[in-house]
Amino acid sequence: MQHRHKSSMKRTQQRMAVLFVLPALAIYGLFVLYPLAMSLWGSFFTWKGLRMLDFAGLSNFARLFVFPSSARLTGALWHNVAWFLGIMVFQNGVGLLFAWLLFLRSQGKGRSGAAFFQSLFFFPAVLSPVIVGALWRLLLAPGGVVEWTLNGLGLHQGSLTVLGNSQTALVMLIAVDAWNWMGLPVLIYTAGLRQISGQIFEAAKLDGAGSGRMLVSVALPLLMPAIGTLTTLSFINTFNQFDIVYVMQGVQGNPSYSTDTLVTYFYRLAFGAEGAVGITDIGLALALGTVLFLILSIGTLLMLRFFDRRTVQL
Amino acid sequence: MSARAIHRRLARIPGWTMLALWSAAVLLPLYILVVSCFKTTAEIYENRLGLPRSWSFDNFTNAWTRADLGQNFVNSLIVTGGAVVLTIVVSALAAYPLSRYKLGWNGIMLGLFLSGIMLPIRLASVELFTLMRNLDLLDSLTGLILVYSAIRIPFAVFIFANFMRVLPSELDEAARMDGAGETRILFQIILPMVKPAVSIVAIFTAIAVWNDFFFPLIFIFDDRYKTVPLAISVFVGQFRTDWGLVFASLAISMAPILIMYCLLARQIREGVGAGGGMK
Repeated sequence: MQHRHKSSMKRTQQRMAVLFVLPALAIYGLFVLYPLAMSLWGSFFTWKGLRMLDFAGLSNFARLFVFPSSARLTGALWHNVAWFLGIMVFQNGVGLLFAWLLFLRSQGKGRSGAAFFQSLFFFPAVLSPVIVGALWRLLLAPGGVVEWTLNGLGLHQGSLTVLGNSQTALVMLIAVDAWNWMGLPVLIYTAGLRQISGQIFEAAKLDGAGSGRMLVSVALPLLMPAIGTLTTLSFINTFNQFDIVYVMQGVQGNPSYSTDTLVTYFYRLAFGAEGAVGITDIGLALALGTVLFLILSIGTLLMLRFFDRRTVQL
Repeated sequence: MSARAIHRRLARIPGWTMLALWSAAVLLPLYILVVSCFKTTAEIYENRLGLPRSWSFDNFTNAWTRADLGQNFVNSLIVTGGAVVLTIVVSALAAYPLSRYKLGWNGIMLGLFLSGIMLPIRLASVELFTLMRNLDLLDSLTGLILVYSAIRIPFAVFIFANFMRVLPSELDEAARMDGAGETRILFQIILPMVKPAVSIVAIFTAIAVWNDFFFPLIFIFDDRYKTVPLAISVFVGQFRTDWGLVFASLAISMAPILIMYCLLARQIREGVGAGGGMK
């Protein structure tokens, strides 16, 4: 009797569970998993507009890697890699320094404003990249306030054209992105530093380590999980970079494709703005999507493994 | 004060300077944004950093009505509100049995949801576009709500499952003895116990949806359904010469997030610090 009651309850539970999971699974499956699977599958077919025609093997991929697409592809890939490296240094590196400074100042007496600085630094991160991009586009425009300030300080003369110059445009976009997200490393590193036992720092101090030495030799190895999280997040974000480029430089990655990224190139292929006539090339777009999917998943898995191995257990 | 204490204070000056410099780098652009909202374009050129001559709201009214930002603002509110509610309800429903029943398939299902946190959904936008067209969900706020919920469900299920898993099992067992149904147990007993999870999911879903630009760009063509970021991206080109109006529209579009941030700064700091809850 007892046993039968239990097994009937098990069955009710199974039925309830299916009912409860179904709405979320349906929405997630229909609008995320299904289109993603279809996109990967579709990259092996020829397309006419939005209609899938015949199986084409790897011919889309072959077209992706030869001229004229190869020039766009390598350009965009290089910009994404440069973007990632730039963010690692200027955002995550400088962010670590800020987090360390705040951590040192929140030791001992009270909290001394660390929370205030954290909130202030994180503020731009809650803004849309579109707003951030539009704001900086106005500030950096010829005749804008940055030009006026630099001229006034005698650091620069005449019209400021950093966004119109293919030598500097990408660097400016990376800087704007770092301005946007600086608060993220600051928050993640300070949270990581707080988890490290105070005794470890005390012991290092007794051994005569200065604060710089303490950061490099004591804190850094123990921050590996935080560094791993940030590196992976930054990798995913930079290889999905689209909004800032679109708003500041247009979907072509002006000037002359110098700020083009893989996703802006993908967007042009898929929704039409590539070349003079603006015809879409769905087969090529899906092949690029599949390549990007592979870069992202393999890259993410390798990074997670790399940082997992270097996590110090205490 | 001993010489040593003075030395220690002096040693901290470079650090404070760096922190102050970055604070200025964050605050100055925002200050310029705010004061420029009240200036005419001519005044912006003449008087860059000073306070406006008069606190005129012309730019705001122009942005709201002439550029029709008011409509975009309402659309963004509807989409954000809808996506937050839908995400919370369906994710809580799914997370409850997956974290608290012994089903035999909890692990696989959770893994399936979890994998979605990292999936680059933008790459699926061609097939998503075809799907939305076939479902007649282009130029539709409902369509946006569904897509955003689908994207945010993995993170929400993950957070809810983590919080629900650690609640004592006596909670729902006692309620079940009293004859409460599973839906009631979830919404009246379990969900109130995991309020921090609900607020994390609500905050980060709201920020992500309010700020998103990519999907409206692809799915919305009719001006009546454009959301704020999409409208802003058009303004920047369209009203290139009317800087006051563009600054005012930027200010309007960040206002709701700014208010929320001031109220919830601590929760947001802790939520992000706990695991980079936000992309």
